[in-house]
Amino acid sequence: MEFSRRNFIKFAVGGLGGTMLSPLPWKLIDDIAIWTQNWSWVPVPARGKFSYIKTVCTLCPGACGIEVRKVGSRAVKIEGRSDYPVNQGAICPLGMAGLQILYNGGIRWKAPMKRVGPRGSQEWKEIPWDEAIDELAIRIKGLRDKGNPEKLAAIDGNQSRSTMALLIKRLINSIGSPNYMFMPREEDTHATANFLMQGTNGPIAFDLENADLILSFGCGLLDGWGAPGRMLSTWRQWANNGKKHKTYLVQVDPRASNTASKADLWLAPFPGTEAALAMGIAHVIIKGKLYHKKFIENHSFGFYDWFDEKGVEHKGFSKIVLEKYSPQMVENITGIKRRVIIEVAKKFASAHAPIAIAGKGKGTLPGSLYEFMAVHALNALKGRVNKEGGSLITDDVPLAQWSDVEYDSVAKDGLIKERVDCAGTPQYPFSRSLIHKFTEAINSGHGSPIDTLLLCSANPVYTIPDSQSFIEALAKIPFIVSFSPFMDETSLMADLILPDHTHLEKIVDIVWPTGIQYPLYALSQPVVKPIYRTKHSGDVIISLADRIGGQVAGSFQWTNFEEALKERVRGLYDSGNEKVSWADIKKNGYWYIPAHSFGRWIDIFKTPSKKFEFFSTEIELALKAYSKEKSFDNALINLGISSKGDEVYMPHYEEIKSGADKKEYPLLLFPMELINLASGWIGNPPFLNKTLFNHQLKRDDLFVEVNPKTASQYRLKEGSKAIIRSPKGELKVRIHLFDGAMPGVIFVPFGLGHTAYDKHLKGKGVNPNKIIDQVEDPLSGQPVWWNTRVELIKI
Amino acid sequence: MDADSKRLSRPKMGGWIFFLVGLIAALIVGWIVFPLVLYSEKSQPLSFSHSSHGPESDAGLECEECHFFYKDGTFSGIPGIRKCMDCHEDPESPLSEDPEEVKLFTDYVGPEKEIPWLIYSRQPDCVYFPHIAHVKMANIECKVCHGDFATRKTPPIYKVNRLTRYSIDIWGRNIAGYKKNTWDKMKMDDCADCHKRKGKENNNACFVCHK
Repeated sequence: MEFSRRNFIKFAVGGLGGTMLSPLPWKLIDDIAIWTQNWSWVPVPARGKFSYIKTVCTLCPGACGIEVRKVGSRAVKIEGRSDYPVNQGAICPLGMAGLQILYNGGIRWKAPMKRVGPRGSQEWKEIPWDEAIDELAIRIKGLRDKGNPEKLAAIDGNQSRSTMALLIKRLINSIGSPNYMFMPREEDTHATANFLMQGTNGPIAFDLENADLILSFGCGLLDGWGAPGRMLSTWRQWANNGKKHKTYLVQVDPRASNTASKADLWLAPFPGTEAALAMGIAHVIIKGKLYHKKFIENHSFGFYDWFDEKGVEHKGFSKIVLEKYSPQMVENITGIKRRVIIEVAKKFASAHAPIAIAGKGKGTLPGSLYEFMAVHALNALKGRVNKEGGSLITDDVPLAQWSDVEYDSVAKDGLIKERVDCAGTPQYPFSRSLIHKFTEAINSGHGSPIDTLLLCSANPVYTIPDSQSFIEALAKIPFIVSFSPFMDETSLMADLILPDHTHLEKIVDIVWPTGIQYPLYALSQPVVKPIYRTKHSGDVIISLADRIGGQVAGSFQWTNFEEALKERVRGLYDSGNEKVSWADIKKNGYWYIPAHSFGRWIDIFKTPSKKFEFFSTEIELALKAYSKEKSFDNALINLGISSKGDEVYMPHYEEIKSGADKKEYPLLLFPMELINLASGWIGNPPFLNKTLFNHQLKRDDLFVEVNPKTASQYRLKEGSKAIIRSPKGELKVRIHLFDGAMPGVIFVPFGLGHTAYDKHLKGKGVNPNKIIDQVEDPLSGQPVWWNTRVELIKI
Repeated sequence: MDADSKRLSRPKMGGWIFFLVGLIAALIVGWIVFPLVLYSEKSQPLSFSHSSHGPESDAGLECEECHFFYKDGTFSGIPGIRKCMDCHEDPESPLSEDPEEVKLFTDYVGPEKEIPWLIYSRQPDCVYFPHIAHVKMANIECKVCHGDFATRKTPPIYKVNRLTRYSIDIWGRNIAGYKKNTWDKMKMDDCADCHKRKGKENNNACFVCHK
């Protein structure tokens, strides 16, 4: 017997058969699969004891409750907290991806830094905290010694009512500067509309949970609007209501957003004509006498024609609406068929608990004041003000006030000087902060009226419309201090970095999360110990005040930020509504009163007429004051108002003007916000990049949404490369054909096109802010970010 | 000789021996050699005797005294050295003359160092297993999954899979994956079988354990 080729094959076949009859291959397959999990580069958390920390997400003003799972000292997972009233377990993608903001060392400042090379060269020197705070204190002292405390300014991105925002404002004011500015926000448009029509200054509160018809004029309820976790959980509640108690959603949106595509009815008027649509709906309600007679007759002012003290007759809101906003006229303005306008109006009027809400996208960027008033007028027509399921009027969370600042003479002299951004002056009577005017003021002069600029929780170089002008202004400011924890676009232009902790490393509060319907005080707590040599900005401000000394130090008599917080929280205890202790609030992460006293129309309106004002007396007073200096017509022109007569004081439609020639720039650029793309000062975490489709972002190319009809006019196909050109600049993009995009409009997402951060963000896509040709909204003076005329060029 | 007679002269079955040799060799490799190569043996840092601690012993400890649940419902697993020190606190007066107890004092209690126990039931990180749902809600006895540890004098030899780094007790000591008792294996299929048997088939959805 020889071991021939033939016999070898027999041996091999036998061997193979025997192997297959043994457990070897099957066991090996299983083991190899598990072995792949043990590769050293597979991310596996260290072993340790599991623990869960309940806290609040402060990445946006929504303040959703989160539960962070830890293994040993490492946080490994963020989930929505189900025992927390705002979001009841739901959470948005950004909140979930929060760990990458904490642990991604590539995007964070790891210690205080001082610029050593020229600005923008990114040459930094690590310095000790004491030296860093001293440097700033000496600079501010210098300004005060020279009698120029107003040359200090701050741009703040913290939530308006939060302790951090109050602390920064207190610092700036006690030093003697009126120049505390904050990032433009939608909350202010709502607040101004409420002030003008209701005379109230309380937080914005919509009882969406109890409404049965929601008429949303662009709010991306499922696209990250308000507190995103709340909206997701509210949506679930609506779905569970059953057919009988179904909540009917009408979404007004120029694009088939998540919200529009899931709405019961989707209307797409031309962008910027939403106010006309609201007025058209009001027309049908008034004409059919479908309004709430008791509210209109007893608790509103300016609905019917009226005579003033001098005996002059004024047209009422109802007359103007009937004259100027018939469904046919509104169809001509908005492009919405008159039949549809009538149908929506009748639905709104016949619903049991309808609510109309104004806003765009995530509800973070400012809107048009007259539009917000027009939308709110619909609520008034149906008596939906301070009613269950309506727009509520609320008092603030009963936090205690800190003792008043005692100003020294330097501070007093500084504070009477005019604000650099002109907010609150007769030309901008209803604005409290106008960053684009600040930019203009710096760019128009030879020197800079600001010497030292503090930047807190904001990245304006990236998020401000027409960012190029802002960058030019920054270049002229001698000394810029950033408190950002991140190496973002703005902090890279700073001279001194005092890095804050990230949201999972510190205690901060959010007072009344945006839009929720009851008073709630949310408190975050540190989930992990600070990873780097960062310091809580609240603590830094307190020790800065201490080093400036004198009366400034006297206004900050706390040893740390937590003490300042605690002092405010004492008010919750003293208010007696609900006995709570600091320890309780720290443990639970929140305090709230789930009850609201509805109605009370008789004493709830704080306007000069003590009624809901269709005719705003406050606008009348402001215009009177402003037109003292110049003619009334000139005053209107300066305020950007094109209407005449009594309409000026009432909700109405104002066409937003654009300087660009419609022939040269035939299309409209509409920036959009997506729930899975962080678009504010927080950079998008890599996890969320993974949720973008190939037709949204492919390698570094950003796709913009264009209607196939519009694209074919420019001979553009799916994936074609093109340039969007506005008077302000150009963006290189690719085209995604989308039937849900309105023809003639190009939709570009906010959130990409960073020039800072790490490889996951830097250079990915383009930022529409770069080419936004902003104009001012009439009366409010806020920047209009959604009305840029552009042309599309195929390349 | 012509071609036909050449073929006839060959022994008819001769070649099949090679087949059989291959077959038997492979069976030996697969069933005997492979398991020997796949697993390496390790001994526990201490030869802990459950039987001299358990309810039947002089110490008379209940299982829950060492393997307890925290207030939040998480399971403590193997107790830390502090727990041992509750009884074995004084190195000068050991409770017995057992060399293992001496080792306990010199190596661990003295320097207050945790004992690096080798865990037979360690599962991958991608598995979420709540003890409380099984022990308190379903009232399943420890031994159903872990075997009868309480009466053991010495810990079983710890065999670790060279590829996966998990204990042999996960796949089971039988290389073919055959099991006689519920505690013989701890693979995913074993969890699923038990869920099915107990009418908890809903718990076999992926996200229940792989969160």
